[in-house]
Amino acid sequence: MQALVIDPAAHEPVYGQIARQLREAIASGTLAPGRALPAVRTVAGDLGVNLNTVARAYRQLQDEGFLEITERAGARVAAPSEGSSRERLDPLRRDLRTALARLRQAGVPVPDLKKMLEAELAALGGRRRG
Amino acid sequence: MEGTAVVWIVALETVLAGALHLFLPRIARHGLLFGVYIGEERVQSEVTSRIRRAWSRTVLAGTVVTVALQLLFLRRPPVAIACLGVYLTGLVGLYLWAYLSAKKLALPASPPPPAVAILEEDGSAGLLPHLTLVFAVVCSLLGLAYAAAAYPSLPAQIPTHFGFSGAPDAWNPKSPGTVLLLPILGVIQAFGLGLVCVLVSHAKRALRLGDGGASLRAQLAFRRAVTRFVCGVTWIVSVMFLLVTVFSIRTAQGTSAGIPIAVLALAGLMILVSLGSIVVLGLRYGQGGARLEGPTKAPLTDGLADNRYWVLGMFYVNPSDPSVMVERRFGIGYTVNLGNWKVVAGLAGFLLLTLGVTLLAVL
Repeated sequence: MQALVIDPAAHEPVYGQIARQLREAIASGTLAPGRALPAVRTVAGDLGVNLNTVARAYRQLQDEGFLEITERAGARVAAPSEGSSRERLDPLRRDLRTALARLRQAGVPVPDLKKMLEAELAALGGRRRG
Repeated sequence: MEGTAVVWIVALETVLAGALHLFLPRIARHGLLFGVYIGEERVQSEVTSRIRRAWSRTVLAGTVVTVALQLLFLRRPPVAIACLGVYLTGLVGLYLWAYLSAKKLALPASPPPPAVAILEEDGSAGLLPHLTLVFAVVCSLLGLAYAAAAYPSLPAQIPTHFGFSGAPDAWNPKSPGTVLLLPILGVIQAFGLGLVCVLVSHAKRALRLGDGGASLRAQLAFRRAVTRFVCGVTWIVSVMFLLVTVFSIRTAQGTSAGIPIAVLALAGLMILVSLGSIVVLGLRYGQGGARLEGPTKAPLTDGLADNRYWVLGMFYVNPSDPSVMVERRFGIGYTVNLGNWKVVAGLAGFLLLTLGVTLLAVL
C-alpha cells in the first residue's frame, strides 16, 4: 500500500516532500497512469497539514506533467508523454546539467557519477518507452 | 416507589460507569497510556502495569462503595444522586493522577513524530450519515410545525413536565416559549447530531508507520462502526423528540393522559443501545480499531502521537491540522480539534443558540 511519509523536522518543506515522493512513485511506475490520488482534504487530514500545502504539491506535479487535475475526476496520475518536444526537454536537460555540475563540484568523480546515475535509473524501475 | 426506582437507576448507572472505566485502559491504541503517547515499546513495562493495576483497583473499590451507599439510602434519591456526583468527580481525579503518572513516561517532544498519508481513498461513507441528518431535521421540523399549528387551540395552562409514569406533574401558563421550546431545541439538536454523524464518517485517520495498511483497515472498520452507532442514536433521539412534542401537545389538548409508556421505553431503549454499543465497540474493535491492529510495534504518527497537541490527554488542539474530528486518546470514539477555528465557532454557536432559545422561552 503506497504511503507518503512526512518528516516535520526535515529542512525540506512539507509540500516538497509530498511532491518528491509522489514524483518518484509515478516515475518508478508504483503509481500507474490513470490512478486516482486521494482528495487534497484526505491527504491533508492524514498528514495534519494545511490544505494549501497539499494543493501546492499537487499543482506543482500538474505543472511538471505528473498529474492531471480536473474538477470532476480530481487528481489522477498522468500518462507519460509519447514524445517530447525540444521545448519541453531543454529545461529538464538544464536541470540535469545543474545537478551533475553540483555533484562534480562536491568532489564526486565521473565514474562514481555514472554509477550514481545508473542506480537512480534502476530505482525508477527502468521504465522505458519505444 | 418512584424514589426507589430513581435510586436503582442511579445505582445501575454507577455500575455501568465503573465497568466502562475498568475496561477503557485495556482498549486504548497500543502505545497510548491514559491519554499520553509513551511509545509501543514501553506500553508493557512494570511501571505501566503498576499504573493500570492502581487504576483498576481504585475504580472497582469506588464503584462498590458508591453503589453500597446508594442502596443504603434507597428511599433518598438526592443522596444517591449526590453519591454518583462524588463518584464521577472521584473518577476525574483518578484520571488526572493516572495521566500525570503516564506523562512521566511520555516520549520526548523533539523530534516531532512523522506523519503518514495512505494513497487510498476511504471509499464512500455511504448515504447513512446524510440520510440520518435529513431524517433528524425532518422529524424536528414536523414536531415544530405540529406544536405551532396546535398553539391556538391549547388551554391557558399546559403541562411542562412529566413524571416516570408519563403523567404530567407540572403546569405553566401557555406562551410561545413554553409550547415551542422543546420542538425548537429538537431542531437545534437535530442539526447538531446529524452534523456529528456526517463529521464522524469523515473523521481523521490515525495511521501507523510501515504497517502495510493494517492500521488503515482497522481505522476504517472502527469508523464505520462508530458512524452506525451515532446514526442509530440520532434516529432514536429524533423520534423521541417528535413523540414527546406530539404527546405533550395532546395532553394539553386533553386527547392524551400523558406520555405513553412506549415513548418512555424508547428513552430506555436509547440508553441500552448507547451503552451496549459502547461495550461492543470497545470489546470488538478497541479504541480506533486497536483490537483489530493487535500489539503492533509500528509507531503511531502525526496528531495522535504528538503529545504537544493534547491537553490532559483529552483535548486535541492543533491549529495546523485541518481535521475536525480526531480519534480520542482515552475513551471510545472521536473528539473535536479545538485548534480548528470552525470547530470552536460551531461549538460556540451551538451553545449560544441553545442557551439563547432557552432563556428567551423562560423570560
